[in-house]
Amino acid sequence: MIGVPVLKIENLRTYFYSSSKQAFSRAVDGVNLALEKGETLGIVGESGSGKSVTALSVMGLVTAEPGVITGNIGLKTDGVQKNLLQDIEDYVKITNENGRTVEVSKDNPGWQRHIDRVLRGVRGKEISMIFQNPKLSMNPFSSVGKQIKEAIMLNTSINNAQEARERTLYWLEQVKIDSPRLRYDNNPYGLSGGMCQRAMIAMALSSEPSVLIADEPTTGLDATIQSKIVSLLEELKSSVGVTTLLISHDIDVIKTLSDRVSVMYGGRVLESGPSKEILSAAHNDKHPYTAALLASIPTARQIKAKSYLQAIKGDVLDTINLPSGCLFYARCHQVTEQIKMQCKHQEPELREISSNHNVRCWRFFNA
Amino acid sequence: MKLASIKPITVLISRELAIAALLLLGISFLVFMVLFLSPGDPFSSLLKDQTASSAIGTAARSEIGGPAPWYYQYLAWLGNIMRGNFGTSIRTGLPVLREVIRTGINTLYLTLGSLLITLLIAVPIAVFSARRGFTATNWVLTMFTYVVSALPVFWLGYIVIYISMHRFGLFPLAFGSGAQTWSWVYFMLPVFVLGLSNGTMSEVVRHLREELSRVFSEEYICTARAKGASIWKHSFKEGFLIPITEIVATKIPFILGGAVVVEQVFNWPGMGRMAWQAAQDRDFPLILGITLMAALFVRLGSLIERAVHIIVNPRFAKE
Repeated sequence: MIGVPVLKIENLRTYFYSSSKQAFSRAVDGVNLALEKGETLGIVGESGSGKSVTALSVMGLVTAEPGVITGNIGLKTDGVQKNLLQDIEDYVKITNENGRTVEVSKDNPGWQRHIDRVLRGVRGKEISMIFQNPKLSMNPFSSVGKQIKEAIMLNTSINNAQEARERTLYWLEQVKIDSPRLRYDNNPYGLSGGMCQRAMIAMALSSEPSVLIADEPTTGLDATIQSKIVSLLEELKSSVGVTTLLISHDIDVIKTLSDRVSVMYGGRVLESGPSKEILSAAHNDKHPYTAALLASIPTARQIKAKSYLQAIKGDVLDTINLPSGCLFYARCHQVTEQIKMQCKHQEPELREISSNHNVRCWRFFNA
Repeated sequence: MKLASIKPITVLISRELAIAALLLLGISFLVFMVLFLSPGDPFSSLLKDQTASSAIGTAARSEIGGPAPWYYQYLAWLGNIMRGNFGTSIRTGLPVLREVIRTGINTLYLTLGSLLITLLIAVPIAVFSARRGFTATNWVLTMFTYVVSALPVFWLGYIVIYISMHRFGLFPLAFGSGAQTWSWVYFMLPVFVLGLSNGTMSEVVRHLREELSRVFSEEYICTARAKGASIWKHSFKEGFLIPITEIVATKIPFILGGAVVVEQVFNWPGMGRMAWQAAQDRDFPLILGITLMAALFVRLGSLIERAVHIIVNPRFAKE
């Protein structure tokens, strides 16, 4: 399995500057991720931790005018090998004065055109994406079948309409939509949310991408539908086996579907490693934030005992004014007197504590 | 499946036709009452400034119809309409229906042509600014459309006539007189004037820009982008087709109103000018005929709008 990763995100920074160009929000702040062929990498974290922006940055879908992306996103598949953020800085001019950013000017149309150019043949063809809100994510003015057919005709070698239609029906069957021939002509509003998400999954997979990005695929759905979508994704993982970047705030979803996991907080990765290790309550060596996240999920024992869930105290980071020390310091339960000063003033690095398991916490390197 | 997709349109058309029939009935009654109650009558305008004895006047009146109560006159007219007889113009004696159709075609040419001009200028500006955001260039372009839309039609018309005819002697003053080499340009002039200043241009720019940029930020456009499809193709129906038909349908009455002025200024043999003349003459049958035709145009506009809505998105049929 170990080789050159299909998708390698290095030092990704996506900042949103305010209109006064003074304050900015560091939505993603130096993220490194590597996605090996065939694996599912989960990204977990509270809302506002930069998970979705990471995904949108990869796809060049950060459309907000003040969004500025820097870093490297290396894509290496059978057909394509390129840096998706190549020369992207050329369209942004950042003026610094005494170490403070005082002016950001961005040629937004040029930036957008450049991204569209770089990502031509990547979007859909190499990387496809599933979004949060299935009903809003499908074109309400076109039938479900036509939209999938369009993806097939655009992104695969099939360019015969009849063949593409057959292929669409095949994919609708793969995602377990009942009577695909009837559903083919349905507009999205004629489908339930769960059905729409199945169709979205069919559309994303029908392009036969090298990488699938699933951005909160179960969030917009009812709890019962959620579990069905998760088991569908699980089945597809073994049958289709596409390399997946799975983003969710739902730890159970990540635990079920992903091989490795990265825990994000305040635009940074705080911990990454095998999901079995990181997301199991039994394993003790983990970042305090991950531990807190896990403690906030009800277990059968807790539900039986009617004991309260542990909320993580404090609020999610305000990414405009980041603290100088560890990002989680203010909310951390596990700060000891011994490491307190370090935690407060110096940010720890992401370091390996056991094989393939990296943690960004002072607790582990000061013993 | 196919039947279900055709059905809403049939329902729509039959309902629209019924509404149109009722509407025309109401309009004809209203216009008739206004005409009847307003001072003056066709015969006094017809015989004005003619040294006719009152005996001759009375004879003319009784020859054409004679004094009859208003309900009798209205019902008689309505009965004739039902049989397809729109009567004859009191002033010229020509059949109303044929006259209205003849001038109506000229007016249709003028209004549709001007609409085309409006759209040809406004649509690129709207699309450009929806795509590129608020830049200096499109601020200037947008201001241009606002200024042009605010120009009064009659003023622009006279300015254009003054410049083209009096300064450069390009065209004959009367419509269609003389086979001049530039006569086709003369046909274009009123179309241009009405196209620029019918007040529609700025609204097309504003409405289309807002709708298009709203649709661009919809989630399904993000999906289209993510699968490598054209965002223009996916935003066309909601962001382009619907707003355009909406604005055009709602603006048809205003454009017809503008056409009256333009036809007057340019001596254009259209329905508007004929309406103006007919109103001066108190030419009742002609006024009624023109009103019905104009109402039909307006109704047709909204029918097209509804039809586009339903074809584009069958869900609207249920609302």
